[in-house]
Amino acid sequence: MEQIRAYFKQSATYQLLQILADQLDDFFTTFGEIAIRGLMVLKCIFAGQINLKEVIEQSARFGVSSLPITISIVSMTSIIVAMQVAGEMVKQGGGNYVGLLVAMLTVRETGIIMSGFAIISMIGSSLASEIATMKVTEQIDAIRVLGVNPIRYLFVPRVLAGTLMMPPVMIVASTFGIIGGGIASTLVSELSYKAYFSSVWSGLYIYDIKVAIAKAFTYGFVIALISCTCGYIAKGGAKGVGIATTKAVVWSFVAIVILDLIFSIAFFF
Amino acid sequence: MIKVENLVKKFDDKTVLNDISFEVKDGETLAVVGFSGSGKSTILKIICGLLEKDSGTIKTSEGDIAMVFQYSALFDSLTVHDNIIFALTERKDLRKLYSSQDLDNIVREKLKLVGLEEIEDKFPSELSGGMQKRVSFARAIVTNPKTILYDEPTAGLDPISSTLIEDYIVRLKDETHASSIVVTHQMSTIQRTADKVLMLYNGKSVFQGTPQEMCEQGNEYTKQFITASLNGPMKLLTE
Repeated sequence: MEQIRAYFKQSATYQLLQILADQLDDFFTTFGEIAIRGLMVLKCIFAGQINLKEVIEQSARFGVSSLPITISIVSMTSIIVAMQVAGEMVKQGGGNYVGLLVAMLTVRETGIIMSGFAIISMIGSSLASEIATMKVTEQIDAIRVLGVNPIRYLFVPRVLAGTLMMPPVMIVASTFGIIGGGIASTLVSELSYKAYFSSVWSGLYIYDIKVAIAKAFTYGFVIALISCTCGYIAKGGAKGVGIATTKAVVWSFVAIVILDLIFSIAFFF
Repeated sequence: MIKVENLVKKFDDKTVLNDISFEVKDGETLAVVGFSGSGKSTILKIICGLLEKDSGTIKTSEGDIAMVFQYSALFDSLTVHDNIIFALTERKDLRKLYSSQDLDNIVREKLKLVGLEEIEDKFPSELSGGMQKRVSFARAIVTNPKTILYDEPTAGLDPISSTLIEDYIVRLKDETHASSIVVTHQMSTIQRTADKVLMLYNGKSVFQGTPQEMCEQGNEYTKQFITASLNGPMKLLTE
């Protein structure tokens, strides 16, 4: 029996199952950590344990430093969409719907999701590596020994900044996206600016904007929370920082896509 | 006062600390020595609350517990000034007690105590290892702790800087009358700073006594440690 067990442990099937078990264990551990930290952050926020100076500093990081790249990505996406469809739609007699299509797509989807991806790449990864470095160099232990709550000091300002700054970033980026789509449409087809923007206003509802803002608040909260948590649970040295950063980016991307699906089902079906 | 009784700590199936007991009176310093991985730092982390114990009791004097970390653990995004006043500005119970003038004075006073001046605006990366260590001393004592824990305070320092750090450990003990525990590998640190020595091997206490007794008694473990011999009851993990 022992021999069979030893033989099985060396087999590829066992190794594969072991890897799968480790991955599942890591998934549930990370998910649990994110949920627990999320509740702790909310508890601190509702208890008023907020360092306003830190929130403002982190908001500048979220908003100002990410804005150029966010605007670029969202605008490019809208321009690409407009270039792909404007010519053909005008030819088919649907020129009056180009603005509507670009605006609806930008406000409902690309504006928010591309802003989320840009924030994850620029800010989420930097948050995770910053906190992971603090973890592996015992700075977080030092915070705890000095009697300061690391959730209040590290998480709350970053999560609040993410939650509060994501909507304005998304609004500015989406506005640029719609304008960029208009410019592209008029360049590749015979559509006029006036026709494009009339079409934008005819198809865009306040409801769409409200849902987009709700999405932005949620995504900002989730990105900052996941990034901080992945950094906070980092282990080891430089390798641990790298793993934490990658994990933060992957988890944030997946979370945003899943949340997007949930929002679409909940608000547009 | 620090009183530890029957302390047990396990990581998974491995017992890192097995029935450890000791007492450090006010104003006393205990040196904890032993091989790497013998559980020395784990004792400190349990006392200051960074790790949970599995069983046993720990009693410390009322008041703050400070810890000086092996690699200083200064906040690299904050200046020396902000590192030192961190607890005073971030702790709910302390943050409204001091004006900005008070905080400046505290920083100057604590830096003077560890022999540093005019470095308030520097960042940790601009300081030498010895200076970082002394700033971490200043940060640790800012809340006037009754218990101070030092995790290998002279690790990575040259002999002269090590002597300086040892002098400051003694000076801080005299100034604060706190109970201190110093985890160390160095005999000079034991002889210059400690009143008592606890030696660990495989998570068990194999010697407790004064530094003098450590050198004079015929304990096989301490003899091997002092002579840095490979022959003796303690075996390295690679053997």
